[in-house]
Amino acid sequence: MWFFRSPSIIYGEDSISYLNDIPQRRIAILTDGNIVRAGLVQKVRHELPEDAKVLIIDDVPVEPTLSYVSSIKGKIDQFKPDLIMGLGGGSCMDCAKAAFVTYEKPGLDMHDITPLINLDLRKKARIILIPTTSGTGSECSWAAVISEDDHGRKNEFASPEIIADFAILDPVMVSSLPEMVRKSTAIDALTHAIEARSSAWKNPYSDIFADKAVELITSNLMDAIADNENVDAITNVHIGASMAGLAFSNSQITLAHSLGHSLGAHFNIPHGISVGIFLPHVIRFNYSQAKSEYSAINKKFPKSLRKKYLHLTVENFLKQLSMPMTIADLKIPKNEYEKKMDSMASLALESTGTVLNPRDAGRSELEMLFKEIE
Amino acid sequence: MYKFPSEEWANAYFEKLNGNADYKDSARDWEGDITLIINADETMKEDAYLYLDLYHGICRKYIFTNDLNKIPKSEFTYSGKFGNWKKLINGEVDPIKGILTGKFKLKGSMAKIMRYTKAAKLMVNTASQVPSVF
Repeated sequence: MWFFRSPSIIYGEDSISYLNDIPQRRIAILTDGNIVRAGLVQKVRHELPEDAKVLIIDDVPVEPTLSYVSSIKGKIDQFKPDLIMGLGGGSCMDCAKAAFVTYEKPGLDMHDITPLINLDLRKKARIILIPTTSGTGSECSWAAVISEDDHGRKNEFASPEIIADFAILDPVMVSSLPEMVRKSTAIDALTHAIEARSSAWKNPYSDIFADKAVELITSNLMDAIADNENVDAITNVHIGASMAGLAFSNSQITLAHSLGHSLGAHFNIPHGISVGIFLPHVIRFNYSQAKSEYSAINKKFPKSLRKKYLHLTVENFLKQLSMPMTIADLKIPKNEYEKKMDSMASLALESTGTVLNPRDAGRSELEMLFKEIE
Repeated sequence: MYKFPSEEWANAYFEKLNGNADYKDSARDWEGDITLIINADETMKEDAYLYLDLYHGICRKYIFTNDLNKIPKSEFTYSGKFGNWKKLINGEVDPIKGILTGKFKLKGSMAKIMRYTKAAKLMVNTASQVPSVF
């Protein structure tokens, strides 16, 4: 027995207008300053019913912490929303999920957001997520990354109950992404898809979303980067990223994410870059255990990018995008990197991605993979 | 071959777990005891309990019993029907999926145990390495 879970997805040009007819009238929007400055909050407000009351919390940090989520609880409780909206990248959407839980279940320790506990939500509100990047897949996933306050450990809170009720994928929300953000978030999505396809929990549903995600992202990303007005390419990458979110959310990520999370936490590297840098190495490491899956994914890349083996194809793709491939590219001093090796391996060992990797990996294998990007 | 569950099986498991270097490494900071509860079903008449005192990658002590009163109250319990334990030991059920699908129940601090999923997996793998009859 297993499950397939997904929000209701509204997608394509003008899908934001779905907000015109929602039944909710008290809407708490969690977002950040960049989204406000980009005019996207205004765009969303314009689409909401005229008589809707709106609370805007626009200071969600890049790495939301437990104390940040607690700090906004009072405002949300007082406002009494019947809809919580996460508008932004992964941070804003993850923060909205955590805020949704604390609003619904006052007194619950956020660490208890695990799939092993029945949270019994949706007594007060619903949750809607609108991504403004094409990568995290958070709008489709039942996970939320919230950091500890003191030492930067990233908690991967997960519960099928925090999956959004609705996700809106409108290309207008991602049309003006800076080039590097578009690239790194797409690489994050590509990593989601490839890891979902080879995870120990892979299944026919996740496979089909992973395959299509790889096809949409790799066939359209270059065009989306080259032309901000290429709505078709931008839409395809956006939908592909969301499909990758559905794929990993219904099967789980593996080792590139374990290593990437750990590298990111130790050296403050953006998520898409830190997971992408390990992707070809992890594929090569896993190859003997995931041959048919990797071979199937390799065929989803456009012929112009495809090499004989998936790790070579991915490497080629990363190079064409001028993505960092080594710690030198990330400007991390070698001695500092080596000093933190044990700590990085320990953190990666704790990740569920390590457990669900198709090939068993202990400390020595993790250290070996960390060394491969030196 | 060791009959599961039994004192002999528990002892063989205790030895194998303490000989597992990967487990030792992945649980090197772990402090906490756990009781594995094998609930009776149509093929096993009496509940059985395997108490494990786990500390820094070592199992310091185990108690196997059919009497709940003979074991200390532990920080965690992991329980399921005998038939499901059989599937778990034979590698037919994933221990976390087992919880998510209601085949097993885990009680204790979820936040703590979620940081040690690798160690939990290795504990199950070790059980699969004990030559077992059911």
